[in-house]
Amino acid sequence: MTFHPDTLCPFCGLGCGDIGIDLDESGITPRPTGCPQADRLFRRSAAVPTDARMDGNAVSMDDAIAEAARLLGTSAAPLIAGLAADVDGVLSALSLAERIGATVDHERSDALFRNLAVLRRFGWSVTTLAELRNRCDLVLVVGPDPATAFPRVWERWVAPEPALVPGGARSVVFLGGEPLPETVQCLGSRIEASGLGSDAGPDLAALVGRLRAALAGRTADGDPMTALASRLCAARYVVVIWAAGLFDNPQPDLIVEGLVRLIRNVDGTTRCAGLPLSGADNVIGANQACGWRTGFPLRTGFNAGAPLHDPERFDWRTRLCDADVTLWISAFRPEMPPFATGGSVIMLAPPELAVTTEPALFIPVGTPGIDHAGDVFRADSVVALHTGALIDRGLPSVAAVIGRILSVLAETADSKEEAEC
Amino acid sequence: MLTKLTGGRLFDPANGRHGEVADLWLRDDRVVTDPGPGATPDAAHDVTGKVVMAGAIDIHSHIAGGKVNLARLLMGEEHDRHRFAGHACGCGGGSGIATPSTHATGARYIEMGFTAAFEPAMLGSNARHAHLEMSDIPYIDTGGYLVLGNDDFLLDLIATNAGQSAVNDYVAWMLTATQSLAVKVVNPGGINAFKFNARKLDLDEAGPHYGVTPRSVLTVLARTVYELGLPHPLHVHGCNLGVPGNVATTLDTIRAAAGLPMHMTHIQFHSYDTAGDRKFSSGAAALAEAVNRTPTLSVDIGQVMFGQTVTASADTMAQRHTAPLAHPRKWLAMDIECDAGCGVVPFRYRDNSYVNALQWAIGLELFLLLDDPWRVFLTTDHPNGAPFTFYPELIRLLMDRDYRLAKLAEIHPDAPAHTTLGSITREYTLAEIAIMTRAAPARILGLADRGHLAPGASADVTVYSDLADRRAMFERPDLVFKSGRLVVRGGTLVAMASGCTHVVRPGFDDLIERRIARHFDERIGLPIKHFRIQDAEIRHGAGPQLHPCQRREVP
Repeated sequence: MTFHPDTLCPFCGLGCGDIGIDLDESGITPRPTGCPQADRLFRRSAAVPTDARMDGNAVSMDDAIAEAARLLGTSAAPLIAGLAADVDGVLSALSLAERIGATVDHERSDALFRNLAVLRRFGWSVTTLAELRNRCDLVLVVGPDPATAFPRVWERWVAPEPALVPGGARSVVFLGGEPLPETVQCLGSRIEASGLGSDAGPDLAALVGRLRAALAGRTADGDPMTALASRLCAARYVVVIWAAGLFDNPQPDLIVEGLVRLIRNVDGTTRCAGLPLSGADNVIGANQACGWRTGFPLRTGFNAGAPLHDPERFDWRTRLCDADVTLWISAFRPEMPPFATGGSVIMLAPPELAVTTEPALFIPVGTPGIDHAGDVFRADSVVALHTGALIDRGLPSVAAVIGRILSVLAETADSKEEAEC
Repeated sequence: MLTKLTGGRLFDPANGRHGEVADLWLRDDRVVTDPGPGATPDAAHDVTGKVVMAGAIDIHSHIAGGKVNLARLLMGEEHDRHRFAGHACGCGGGSGIATPSTHATGARYIEMGFTAAFEPAMLGSNARHAHLEMSDIPYIDTGGYLVLGNDDFLLDLIATNAGQSAVNDYVAWMLTATQSLAVKVVNPGGINAFKFNARKLDLDEAGPHYGVTPRSVLTVLARTVYELGLPHPLHVHGCNLGVPGNVATTLDTIRAAAGLPMHMTHIQFHSYDTAGDRKFSSGAAALAEAVNRTPTLSVDIGQVMFGQTVTASADTMAQRHTAPLAHPRKWLAMDIECDAGCGVVPFRYRDNSYVNALQWAIGLELFLLLDDPWRVFLTTDHPNGAPFTFYPELIRLLMDRDYRLAKLAEIHPDAPAHTTLGSITREYTLAEIAIMTRAAPARILGLADRGHLAPGASADVTVYSDLADRRAMFERPDLVFKSGRLVVRGGTLVAMASGCTHVVRPGFDDLIERRIARHFDERIGLPIKHFRIQDAEIRHGAGPQLHPCQRREVP
């Protein structure tokens, strides 16, 4: 048995670098962290089937690659989705998309686009996790407790005493959502107020609107929003945190826009910044890579070789309806969302995945940070982290598999050209 | 692969050649001596009468990293309008003019004969991202300048009098961990002060919390860079960027260096005086005079050109002042990781705006009043003053006085009276352009085998037709070789190539690592080992190109 301390976790997007992993001949096991995602997803067996499958039957990797190239190369309307891979995997998927004219999207891009919609039309003022930890004396949490999706966010970034705040005092206010019991336990008396407008299914846009009205001096003295507005203006460095993926309201981007306007208002006199959290399975890294390679965010396709972006039309759920071939990439977790498509599905996923409907082609791949090294981005979008390899189970990376598919497509194109000559 | 370029006029100022006719031989990725009469080249190009230079080098261009990628997101309308298909040679498509995507960046540079461009504002916390992006830019060499001087760790070292050697060790450790080529300071202490809600910070004003002045940050870092023996002097983006009257601060900053080498970047944005009814005039003459008589100083201009662009900077304090002028009306700001920040503000420079017209004139004035082309560099601070694709137009403005005067007549009518531009007769020569864009950048960055054409140099070569229209000439070279491979012919990409990433690695005393590790555990919330970038991470395992440092002592 060997022990790997300080292992980097690539799953939820907080980028915790302190996971202890035990490795023996049976596989890897994480030491308990209090994070259900790390505790579950770092548990992998050494012995897994490494065969590719065509219509459920084992085939050689060479045959699987050839079939994938044939399906993708002859597709009229291909979709590359899931896109849960390290940065190299995403870049190779983008090369493939350009080659075959596919659109790309990440399984978890919904939360991202609720934020991006505002960033792209309005801009924003935001901060990062280390600033939150050291500089922030007042945390305003808007909507459902982000710990639902980012389990250790409070323990690692808010519970420690802020080093750059005189006296080290820090308060947390929940607006339009209740802290989870684990959050209450972690933050204790730091939770100054909670439950402001946290009735079932609160209208977050209206709540944010009321708080903005209070900041403009248009609410009554007794209104709890008046007191909260004063608190915001009296603080040194306010961080407004939200996880847009958890918003269960119509037009969630309007909530985000209200928050950005609120932040800009407070930031005019004291310091105030947002911290929009979305980031599981490297969705931020996928968006960053798509941004630098194409100039556009995710939900971008290639039209006559040039990138074309459409946040509605190229949402993977929409594209799934008319795609004749879907390449589904899910390297991080042996799970997948329910989906139905009339086209063929090629799946790149960990071998532990129990498929509900057997795809036309299944190619097992390793997980970045477990089977191979790879880069992932943290949820605050600034910090990229290089995860290492823990165990060799003979599973290729997404980048390696797509690289082989691209080679076959290039050979086919060459031989075609020769034939035409 | 042996290539021969026959009969060209070589502009190779590093080796004292200013247009002499000579053959040039390339073997694989190097320039070589004439192999003698028995040698048969695999490829021969008759370049008789043409101008042959080393590949051009851009020392200051924001091409990669978090703020550039955010700027791409913010400039969605422009990207929608400018979309490019991939090229048969393998160079991918992309989009954008002011913030081109990675493959478009490499393609636009190489098409103009540039074979290297350096990202001048890489934050330590964002360095891995910047490297991932740089390795996705084809054709050109790259490298990053590490932004320091607003990081809480350094300000704490200075505030607690930890001593120069501790600062030296920290800076050397950071350069190594982030795979950087140089050190840049942006608004020293100001970005940090803004996080404590200070909205401005003058050179001798003590910042909040640490009580450290920008002057002390600047002098400590300039001394560190000198003592570590980094090839490139401290790269300084000074205080009060864009503020009328800031030329006084800039002159103070020059004096603060007290004889230590310093590179002052995009000085056009730091050359404003307050004469005239509008309290905005050119301070270029005074600044140029100070630079001319300070041989330890080098500068780049940050020329403004008219049109739509986007400003992207770590200087959140300055960007907050610019934000109300955003065009289109949207902007973003970010505080980053107890490290620095970033502000992105789209901007449209208009020739019928008095201020913008004067900015344009001040930049040209500086170019023309600075008399040593070895110490002045061609930049637009891409994309902040203009996209780098404006360089050919800028070169024409410098080389062609009649053209310049014609353009001067088109701008806001009140602007010419507040600059000396109209009275300047100087025209840059081809030799001076070759110095400013090749020999001098290589020298100031310590790239011994770049920027010249002597045997042993990297076979990065550009061949131009000697056209009277200098813009047309520099826009579309006849031939461009990168590492010996012909990649551009007649302005068109014909083959794919990739460059390398340049870094320095001055040594440090290991003791500093314990202190930094504690900082990472207690403040940054990340074990130090996850911050360090390994060689294998650079350019898909190719690793970086190392340049030597020579430790020195301040006399």
